[in-house]
Amino acid sequence: MDWLVDPLGYSFMQRALIAGIAVSAVCAVIGVFIVQRGLAFLGDGLAHAAFGGIAIGLFIGASVDNAVWIAIPFTAIIALGIGFVLRKTQLRGDVATGVFFSFSFALGVLFLGLRTAADRQVSVESLLFGNMLFVTPSVLKVVVIVSIVTLIITALVWARLAYAIFDPELAAISGVPVAVLEYLLLVETAVVVVVAVKTVGVVLVSSFVIIPAATARLIGSTLARATLLALAIGTLGSVIGLFASFHLKTATAATIILIHSAGFGLALAWSRLRR
Amino acid sequence: MSEAEVSIPPGLVSLERRQNASALTQTRPDPSLPHVLDVEGVSVTIRGKTIVKDISFWIPKGEFVCLCGPNGAGKSTVLKAIMGLLPTSAGKITIGGEDVVAGHHKIGYVPQRKGFDRDFPARAVDLIVAALRGKWPVRIREHERERARAALKKIGGERLLDKPLAGLSGGETQRVFLARALINDPSLIVLDEPTAGVDAKGRGELLELMTGISRSDELAAILVTHNLAAVAQTAERIVYIEAGRLLCWGLPQELLGQSSLTALAFQARDHHAHAPDDE
Repeated sequence: MDWLVDPLGYSFMQRALIAGIAVSAVCAVIGVFIVQRGLAFLGDGLAHAAFGGIAIGLFIGASVDNAVWIAIPFTAIIALGIGFVLRKTQLRGDVATGVFFSFSFALGVLFLGLRTAADRQVSVESLLFGNMLFVTPSVLKVVVIVSIVTLIITALVWARLAYAIFDPELAAISGVPVAVLEYLLLVETAVVVVVAVKTVGVVLVSSFVIIPAATARLIGSTLARATLLALAIGTLGSVIGLFASFHLKTATAATIILIHSAGFGLALAWSRLRR
Repeated sequence: MSEAEVSIPPGLVSLERRQNASALTQTRPDPSLPHVLDVEGVSVTIRGKTIVKDISFWIPKGEFVCLCGPNGAGKSTVLKAIMGLLPTSAGKITIGGEDVVAGHHKIGYVPQRKGFDRDFPARAVDLIVAALRGKWPVRIREHERERARAALKKIGGERLLDKPLAGLSGGETQRVFLARALINDPSLIVLDEPTAGVDAKGRGELLELMTGISRSDELAAILVTHNLAAVAQTAERIVYIEAGRLLCWGLPQELLGQSSLTALAFQARDHHAHAPDDE
């Protein structure tokens, strides 16, 4: 049991464990809807939009931690823009996301480049790849609050959102506010992605959204079961990955994603054998 | 049955065609019968373009009506307005005396395009109970399951209850959607090309099933179809729309003759290649 208890003697590991569970849980639950809606690329696109938002925050003088408060509304606006293009044009989700993704990332690079040598030093590498072990108490507080609030909102709208994703027309006829729910899902994803970027980085955050949800969809016979499975797979993979990375001295988020990927491989094999 | 003069509003429909339509005898429903659906002077404008204009008809309890017309005539627009999915720019629609938004629960709808996500892990019982609750079920209660079973039994599809939707044939899918439409005991059932994607044998069976339910439950029905054979098999009355206008509204024997609706429909193909594209 030492291998389990010893790491938790470090406060950074305690914070990483809580942050990992919170981020994995909320990303996995939102991810079930994102994957089902055929918007797997959205997490990646919004993570790059978050990079743009953080860069704008840094440009106007905010610290890396405080830049999140600029990134959240910026990324939410980008998400609403993607939603608007999806609803009002014939373009597919990957095309709409790709356009906003490129725009936001270019904006981020441009604003980082406009900073002068006198400005506070920023590690672009830490923004891109994140580090769960460096989560500060203030960031942890934001991560936990955002995760809990998002999970509660998602649980409250789950049944109507599921109906809207199954068939928007039938749901609308039954009185479900389809457009409102779609925009809500996009804004929730934007907020969660910005917060997750602070812990796992721009490049890896979409894996937390997609892989547990895709794994759960392979083995869950109903959407409700898939949601619960995604929650379990996401959080369990995070805990295993965190401890494994501590003992193997490997990058935390990358190790977690490899564990999630191994889970996907097992689920794929099991679903093929079951047929 | 009362007879009435047809009033065709001027517009894209040519004078000659309006005169041809006016020459037909068109028997309207007996006004003393209870009204289920009332469409009164309805126009629908989308992005500044008038798709349907001044459409008026009504359906009494238990009557099976076919809404016909060429492609782009405005049938789907009328249907969406009846469902409350499109706002009307003029006129009003009431279901059993209630506004369409308030009375949407009185309509059972079988869509033409099965736009549901085929990768969505759903069974027939989930879809039917979702219509009952107005939201997707997490867990299905026993009494809901029994209602779904009863609705499927009515259309001869009890065995489909726990089948995944993705694995159903065209005819089986239609039966499940029909059971879904019946689950809330509607007073009007709206059938939008319900036999699309169903083989010839299944098509006949489905139409027979629908007319049978309409008769036995005194359920008003409105069927949108391009198929004249389906109209001949089911219609108790026909509402014919062309270029967004009501051209005629009467009994099948009055409108389906060699020189009447059939001829009108064929002429429409030639005359209205540029009709509003809503379908």
